[in-house]
Amino acid sequence: MVNTHVQIGELTLKNPVIAASGTFGFGREMQQWNNLSQIGGISSKGLTLNPRLGNDPTRVAETASGMLNSVGLQNPGLQAFIEHELPFMLGLGTTVIANIAGHSLEENVQMAMQLDQTAVHAIELNLSCPNVNKGCMAFGSSAHLIQEVVRAVRQSTTKPLWVKLTPNVTAISEMALAAESAGADAVCLINTLLGMAIDRRSRRPVLRNNTGGLSGPAVKPVALRMVWDVAKSVSIPVIGMGGIMTGEDALEFMIAGATAVQVGTANLVKPTACQDIINEMIMIATAEKITSFSQYTGTLKTW
Amino acid sequence: MTQIEFNCPVVNQHRLNDQFVILTLKSAAICDTAQPGQFVNLSCQEFLRRPFGIMAIDRATNEFQVGIQIKGKGTKQLAGLKIGDIVSILGPLGHGFDMTGARRIITVGGGTGVFPLYFVHQTAKELGIERIAICGYRSVEDAILRDEFKAIANRTVFASDTGGLDVIGHAGHALQIALEQLASNTIGSQPTLDQSTFILTCGPKIMMQKVAEMALANGLSCQVSLEEHMGCGIGICLVCVCKIKNHETAEINHQRCCVEGPVFAAEDVVW
Repeated sequence: MVNTHVQIGELTLKNPVIAASGTFGFGREMQQWNNLSQIGGISSKGLTLNPRLGNDPTRVAETASGMLNSVGLQNPGLQAFIEHELPFMLGLGTTVIANIAGHSLEENVQMAMQLDQTAVHAIELNLSCPNVNKGCMAFGSSAHLIQEVVRAVRQSTTKPLWVKLTPNVTAISEMALAAESAGADAVCLINTLLGMAIDRRSRRPVLRNNTGGLSGPAVKPVALRMVWDVAKSVSIPVIGMGGIMTGEDALEFMIAGATAVQVGTANLVKPTACQDIINEMIMIATAEKITSFSQYTGTLKTW
Repeated sequence: MTQIEFNCPVVNQHRLNDQFVILTLKSAAICDTAQPGQFVNLSCQEFLRRPFGIMAIDRATNEFQVGIQIKGKGTKQLAGLKIGDIVSILGPLGHGFDMTGARRIITVGGGTGVFPLYFVHQTAKELGIERIAICGYRSVEDAILRDEFKAIANRTVFASDTGGLDVIGHAGHALQIALEQLASNTIGSQPTLDQSTFILTCGPKIMMQKVAEMALANGLSCQVSLEEHMGCGIGICLVCVCKIKNHETAEINHQRCCVEGPVFAAEDVVW
């Protein structure tokens, strides 16, 4: 038997596979064909204080080994989440993370304060959405702003605070260090890479938002390198993500230094991806006579 | 917990012309629950799945069909599948056409939109509903499924932009003629054109908008099958949204084409 549990600060996850924000809704659809109590956690769709319609379609463009999206944080708003979605999610028997993506420091603080009064297990501060004009990636591209917003949110809640980082920066480890110094309990990386798709015939961008976030296996090598970089720099847990499709992929992220992983785009093409990945990880660990998943973390033997 | 993903064998591949292929697949689970207007999401060698409206089902053999228009790499590969190949399929997905209360249906299809409307006729026939099929095409060469619609519908009207069929012009134009004929009682078995006549449409957006306006102007119930670029097909990624009006609150919302749709009441659609 493999001990599948992993520890993210004070929070124990029953296994290291978390469904990534924006690829799992609030779990309602996925629970139709998954036993969600068997996955490590669910990060909610990115939330804002007020409901958001999101961007106009077209919101998706397929790419080589992946996709671009420009959803733009369509969500019902924090109040509706707390009233209607959170109670449902807490009943699923898994760790529930609220992903918040405010457009300002004040909005993030206000959301954190409200979530502090709920039974949510952790807050994931999204400083990395590339599809909105304000906040998010604009915060996440500056170590100084990261420090400022993380410190403010840290002071408004005692919930475990994870910070989701953007890869659209020159030195991601500096961003991770800024989050750590401001009191983050963990850093999650990577969010999507800013990209573009063009329709040659119409000479227009495929996405109505012109640009979008690239995800899927296409980004995995970039994500692995960044997780490895960050894990060497910080002492808080790193939650790795970016194109994980298989149990093998997930273990590569752990070897690079991740304590847990998030599975995102894979859910879109394989509705049972999270569960399948956990099962595959258990099979591999069993075959390798590994007794605990945490034994994989940070075991990369670099040249 | 229910199963959503099925590995389905290809039992037939039929090429209609250089653009269109009908694939016949086998899955008891999909045939058991499929409703007209619903779709299936087929895995291909590209990254995302490809959604197709269900064209027909045969509950005796557990076989169902989808019509594929070859547009890019994914559809080209799917159109080239051979008998015995296995395809991973999610389905049946989405919210289909509702024929509750219908005594007559008029389907208005354009281009690939005629495929899912064939399934509507199959079901309407089983329910004993009178069926009129209006199909619009670019040209005679593109005029697919004519024999199939002739065999299943009580009456058919085929329109072509470039002539050579029953009506010159688009399917909306053909609908206008049909509605005038129905109102003057020269075709159809029902006495009048009333609320029990449902207009069900699938095709290019501009055509559906015209059809919807015409139906509503005539006081007829109309349902439209919308299309938007899809990610997952199961409601989690929020990319395939359409603008839909809530009549009680007059609020306009983004609804998912893959879950709340693809079929919407025409009066709710913000075109």
